[in-house]
Amino acid sequence: MGKRKDKNKVVLPPELPPEVDDDEVDVSDEDIAFYAGDSKNVAPFRHFDQKSIDRYVKRVTGRDEGEVERLYEERQKRKAAESSGRPREEDDDLEVDPVDALPIKTLQGDIVYNRAKKARSEDNSSSVNSKSQEEGADAKHSVKKDEPKGKSKIKKGDDKVKNTQSQTEIPKGKLHSDVLDEVKEELSTEELFEKKKAQLAELGMAMLEDPESNIRSLNDMLSISNDKDQKVVKLGLMSLLAVFKDIIPSYRIRQLTEKELAVEVSKEVKKTRYYEYTLIRCYKAYLQKLVSLEKQPQFYHVAVRCMCALLDTAPHFNFRESLLASVVKNLSSSDDVVRKMCCETIRSLFVNEGKHRGEATIEAVRLIADHVKLNDCQLHPDSIEVFLSLRFDEDLEKDEKEEEKVKPKKNKRRQNQEALKQLPASDKKKTRQELISKAREEVDADLRAVSFTLDPKERKRIQKETLSALFESYFRILKHSMSVSNSRSKANNASGGLHPLLAPCLDGLGKFSHLIDLDFMGELISCLKKLSGYSDRQGQIPNDNTLSVSERLQCCIVAFKVWRSNLEALNVDLQDFFVQLYNLILEYRPDRDRGEVLADALKTLLWEGKQQDMLRAAAFIKRLATFALSFGSAEAIAALVTLKHLLQKNSKCRNMLENDSGGGSLSCLVAKYNPEAEDPYLSGALASVLWELSLLEKHYDNSVSSMASNILSMANLNPTQNPVPILNLNPLEAYRDLSTERELSKPPGKALSLNLKKKRRGKEFVALSPDVIQKADCSVDKDVLKEKLQSHFTVLRGISENERLRAELNHTLSSINMYKEYKKQKKKNRKLKTARKKIARV
Amino acid sequence: MAKKLGKKARKFARKNLQSAAKRNRKIRNQINHRRPRRGGESLRPAPASRGGAAREDGDLEAPQRVDDATTMSTNDDAAILINGLEFPEDDFEIDADFSDSDGYLSEDPGCPYYSDSEDCDAGKDCIMQDGLGRQNEDMNLDIKKQKKKLKKLLDKDPDFANFLEKWQSELESYRSKEDSDEDDGMDSMDDDDDDSKDGSSQSAKILTGKTISEWSQLVSKEPKSPAIRNLLNAFRDACRYGVHSDSSSMQRFQNARVFYQIITFVLSESDNIFRGLLEISDDANKGQIMNLKQSKKWKTVDPLIKSYLQNSLGLLSQLTDNKILAFVLTRLRASVVLFSAYPSTSRRLLKILFRLWASGDQTLSLSAFLMIREVASLLPDCLDLCLTKAYNTYLASTKLVNDRNTKHIDFLMNCLVELLSLDVQKSSERAVTSVEQLNAILRQASKTKEKEDLRKIDNWQYINCVNLWVRFLCCNYKDYNLHPLLSRVLQVIRGVAHLFPGTRYLPLRLKLVRMLNELSTCSQMFFPIPSLLFDCLEFREVSQKAQTQKTRVNFSSLLKVPKSLLKSREFQEQCILSAIQVLSTHFAQWSYHVSFPEVATIPLILLKRLHEQTTIESLHRPIKRLIDQVNENKDFIERKREVASFSPNDKASVDSFLQDEKSSGNTSFTRFYASVAENWQPRGRKTL
Repeated sequence: MGKRKDKNKVVLPPELPPEVDDDEVDVSDEDIAFYAGDSKNVAPFRHFDQKSIDRYVKRVTGRDEGEVERLYEERQKRKAAESSGRPREEDDDLEVDPVDALPIKTLQGDIVYNRAKKARSEDNSSSVNSKSQEEGADAKHSVKKDEPKGKSKIKKGDDKVKNTQSQTEIPKGKLHSDVLDEVKEELSTEELFEKKKAQLAELGMAMLEDPESNIRSLNDMLSISNDKDQKVVKLGLMSLLAVFKDIIPSYRIRQLTEKELAVEVSKEVKKTRYYEYTLIRCYKAYLQKLVSLEKQPQFYHVAVRCMCALLDTAPHFNFRESLLASVVKNLSSSDDVVRKMCCETIRSLFVNEGKHRGEATIEAVRLIADHVKLNDCQLHPDSIEVFLSLRFDEDLEKDEKEEEKVKPKKNKRRQNQEALKQLPASDKKKTRQELISKAREEVDADLRAVSFTLDPKERKRIQKETLSALFESYFRILKHSMSVSNSRSKANNASGGLHPLLAPCLDGLGKFSHLIDLDFMGELISCLKKLSGYSDRQGQIPNDNTLSVSERLQCCIVAFKVWRSNLEALNVDLQDFFVQLYNLILEYRPDRDRGEVLADALKTLLWEGKQQDMLRAAAFIKRLATFALSFGSAEAIAALVTLKHLLQKNSKCRNMLENDSGGGSLSCLVAKYNPEAEDPYLSGALASVLWELSLLEKHYDNSVSSMASNILSMANLNPTQNPVPILNLNPLEAYRDLSTERELSKPPGKALSLNLKKKRRGKEFVALSPDVIQKADCSVDKDVLKEKLQSHFTVLRGISENERLRAELNHTLSSINMYKEYKKQKKKNRKLKTARKKIARV
Repeated sequence: MAKKLGKKARKFARKNLQSAAKRNRKIRNQINHRRPRRGGESLRPAPASRGGAAREDGDLEAPQRVDDATTMSTNDDAAILINGLEFPEDDFEIDADFSDSDGYLSEDPGCPYYSDSEDCDAGKDCIMQDGLGRQNEDMNLDIKKQKKKLKKLLDKDPDFANFLEKWQSELESYRSKEDSDEDDGMDSMDDDDDDSKDGSSQSAKILTGKTISEWSQLVSKEPKSPAIRNLLNAFRDACRYGVHSDSSSMQRFQNARVFYQIITFVLSESDNIFRGLLEISDDANKGQIMNLKQSKKWKTVDPLIKSYLQNSLGLLSQLTDNKILAFVLTRLRASVVLFSAYPSTSRRLLKILFRLWASGDQTLSLSAFLMIREVASLLPDCLDLCLTKAYNTYLASTKLVNDRNTKHIDFLMNCLVELLSLDVQKSSERAVTSVEQLNAILRQASKTKEKEDLRKIDNWQYINCVNLWVRFLCCNYKDYNLHPLLSRVLQVIRGVAHLFPGTRYLPLRLKLVRMLNELSTCSQMFFPIPSLLFDCLEFREVSQKAQTQKTRVNFSSLLKVPKSLLKSREFQEQCILSAIQVLSTHFAQWSYHVSFPEVATIPLILLKRLHEQTTIESLHRPIKRLIDQVNENKDFIERKREVASFSPNDKASVDSFLQDEKSSGNTSFTRFYASVAENWQPRGRKTL
């Protein structure tokens, strides 16, 4: 039956070599030498099975033209699809958007190609012509040998499914393999590589064309990628990746239960089952291979790239866990490229939650948390920074509060607190919920596969779990930094190096501050307080502090953000943070610390705050003014913007702008201002006058000086009035505007043109000091000059005399030398003479 | 008649004898043309092209620079820009008429030559004193010996004499052939050949000391005396002495004293004589000279002046001793205005002058500079050329900085500023283009952050260029509205400081801070100096191990500290001392300002901390001293302002605060600063 079917089939001639115009083909000298030189080289071509080639060609003839046309067309399309599907395989890395290039399988199972329908008919004719071209012989050769092999395997696979083994095919296969072996020996490694490449291409093409029937060739591809040649392995991995990317279904393949297996099923179902079974088996093998190859440095990049791509395209599919584990592990890889790739993948995982309904997110977050724990917080900052791309629903917390007001939240909270020790509380509610979901999973597997939208409850559950895992790692990092700064404070003072994760962790806490539970707010704040306060100078040199100024500033910022995002309902004393900021302002160093953080701190703590304590405000005002005198213009403008804001909010502090006799205007506890005070309340700033502003008016930067005068103009206004606003920016924006980087990146302004009044200077000197010029005017001593000139003369005369004498000497010497020559000549003459005499005599 | 004939002969010679100089000129012109269009542009100096990327390198005297230019202008425009730091100069048609005449003057036979026998012997012995003389003596002996030998041979074989004669005549004919082949190999002074026709009779005459003194007396008494011609001819021969060993002029000088007499007399007196002849005053300007050029008077004096000037130039290019050169320059300076009549000669003069200016000797380059300045101010059409040449020379000589030449570079910079200040309007255009270039390089570097781009900034040429414009601003800020330029320069300084953070670049940074201090002093603007000094003051990583060899760290010749020195004691010491230095300058500037206490607050905190923590004993005293002085001044200001009645917003009062004290300069801090500033290397420039 099968055989007959085969006979009826139109078998197309094998893949033609790439079409090349006749003009472009040039037979190089090497080629000629190759054929002419060694008969051995030509041997394979002599073995060419003329008949079989003819058969392939002739088989087409006599058939229905249209059908042949169609087949050709299809193959061309396939080829196009295949080559675009595996762009990396090609040497020239042709990048084609797979969306455009890949065929689409319609519901009916037909493959629809998006493009390249045209311009095929001409190709057909030319392809027949090029058939006989010699230059393609090699490629043709290998293709010819390969195709039958691949075909037979594919057929075998098909046959197995259909339980209709065609015995006749086997000997043919054997024969082919014999020939193959023979030929293999003669092929150089390069040809082998070419061959394998072609084979991979063939297989991949077949897979893409009809995955259902060709699923078996996955095995072949896998076996090719076990090759010894590294290049082949890499190619194999990449082609498999392309294939998998294409054929992985949009659902998860489930293990069949015993019961299901027992039930008799239709052929169709069987076929599908077989397909799924093979797919999953190969996928697993592929992943295992990737994981094992990842450990070899030469395959590291390829393996990680494959895994990232797979995770990106198929986060819903089976074995996601192992993929995630590998990718997460590589998040903190020391290899920049790998790390970037992994971070990107994880980020896209977080952002495109639709693909996996958030399940992968939570898994990833949990894995990262474990990873952080395992490595004792010594990871690359990137591994934590990916959390910043997490997205949570805004109403996550609120809805829950309304719905299930008490219990689960509390549990969660406790769980979170204990999560630091990794003890997921197992109480009833939790288990019940899990049970429910499990049951649902079992029952509604199909339903879930079809419906991509999660019901809100499920979604919320997942998000909450993610959140708890997220905060777990954040808190772990915080705690870790605290413990380290306690115990190891003197180990080394490379700030930043000790807590690589702290900065992104604080960033994250700031970003998700609105999601933090009220209950551990207190703990968090105290934690931050401790961290921010590690500079305490109690017997400690500030340099030995393990937290950098930026990190401590960040702690302050986070504390305020947390406090504020919870509607400031929290009853915590934030006074300490102000004290910290007050002192940190002096510790800030322009190149070492991040100026943006400082500006951000000023913005968060002082600019955004409401009414400030008057004493505190005064202390800050004074300190910021002093600060502006010693730092660059960007920092200065940030300080001044804050200062102005404080003055506007605290009208009483405006007295500092005026100088009443006796110094300060307001009497307070401390009569004299102490600029080095550590406590803003004890600085006595209210007693001081803002003289700084008068100097800042002379600041070289225009915006700073105008800001200073703007502030000074407040002195003349009523307490309720505000000066004309000149800069409507917050400190952070103001800082960014004036930062040097910004200035340098700005396009250069228009060319300067100076309009100077023409003023011709007299003869006075401007740059040289008069005593230098005097030095020149006291002319050279006469005697010295005389001596020098005379010696100059002497030397010149000496030289000329020398020249003259030398010439004479040479002349004489050469004359003497000529004597020898003369003698020689004489001798010769004599000889000649004698010879002549002899001749004469003779 | 004789004169005319001479002229004809010379003309002939000029036409037919391709002198080496001419060939050179030709080559140079070719080079100029080869440079695609740039040369052409610079011929018609459009303002845009002047400072632009185009760079003209006609100066063959600095092949180094040419090499450098080709290596640097490899690819991107930034590379061109760094070359473009230099201004294009046009050397074209230099010395177009410089071989016009060699300045030989026909002599009046009425001026007798005197012979004096005493001098003859006195001259002889001084010749034989040096090593060359001894060698000559040896050779003399040798020659005698060899001649004897030859004679013997000749005696032995009379036939040989014939043979030798034949050979010699052969040789000569061969030589003359060769000569005609490459007779242009001789210098332009070849024109001598034709002089000898008319001048032979005179030049054969030996100049004795007596002759010269007689002539001198004659000329001093009566400038119009014909003896001036004789004197100038003698001067001409003196100036060329040694150029042609076989020329008859060699024999004209009886001894060294005559040589000295001629040169000193002519150099010191001729300016007066010419002015007397032309009847012009000492402060004559170019216009007057140009007017004179039409007059009849000029026609008679013209060849004299020409001869004098050209031969002086010849002397300048030939002399090697710095002192004599300086002397010649000082003498010649008096007659600068006379150069205005001969543009090409003045170009040649400038070329020589810039070479001498860039040379390392202090007095010489100073006198060269004074001369340049004289030229630039007296000959307005030379100003542009002077500025361009000076700028390029400055850049070329600041490429490498070491301990020895820092002073010289500073001097060169000051000189250049002097030149630029002659016409601020003109030079501010140059300043703008140059600063724009600096800015562009900076932007490029900050965009790419690539090593190659950064290296364009982290080099001496860039920094010295910035420094130049800073100094230019400082000198002229008061009198001109240069504020836009100032802000551009500031941008550059800030950008450079930002691009090179870290302790390794502390010397560079300190340099920038010094520039800021200078700018601040001249513009009375406030710069937050301390922000750039924190690294210095908080830097205390001294390596534990004692350094075996003492290395002296000199910041003035460093931009980047070598890694090996980074943790050394010396480096740290130098670092802190320099920081103290610049900080004191900063404090001194604001020491009378009402907010001095606040200015000092943060630096004081750091200084105190440093004083407590530093392990280097030698630093304790200077730090402590600064702290004490600052504290004292702080208290002083605080006391004063407590009794003041104005508020910070009262600008006028703030400005007048303590102005009396400032003008008297009698506070302890001012005194402290003055005493400390003395110890630092003298800057060699006016304190503003």
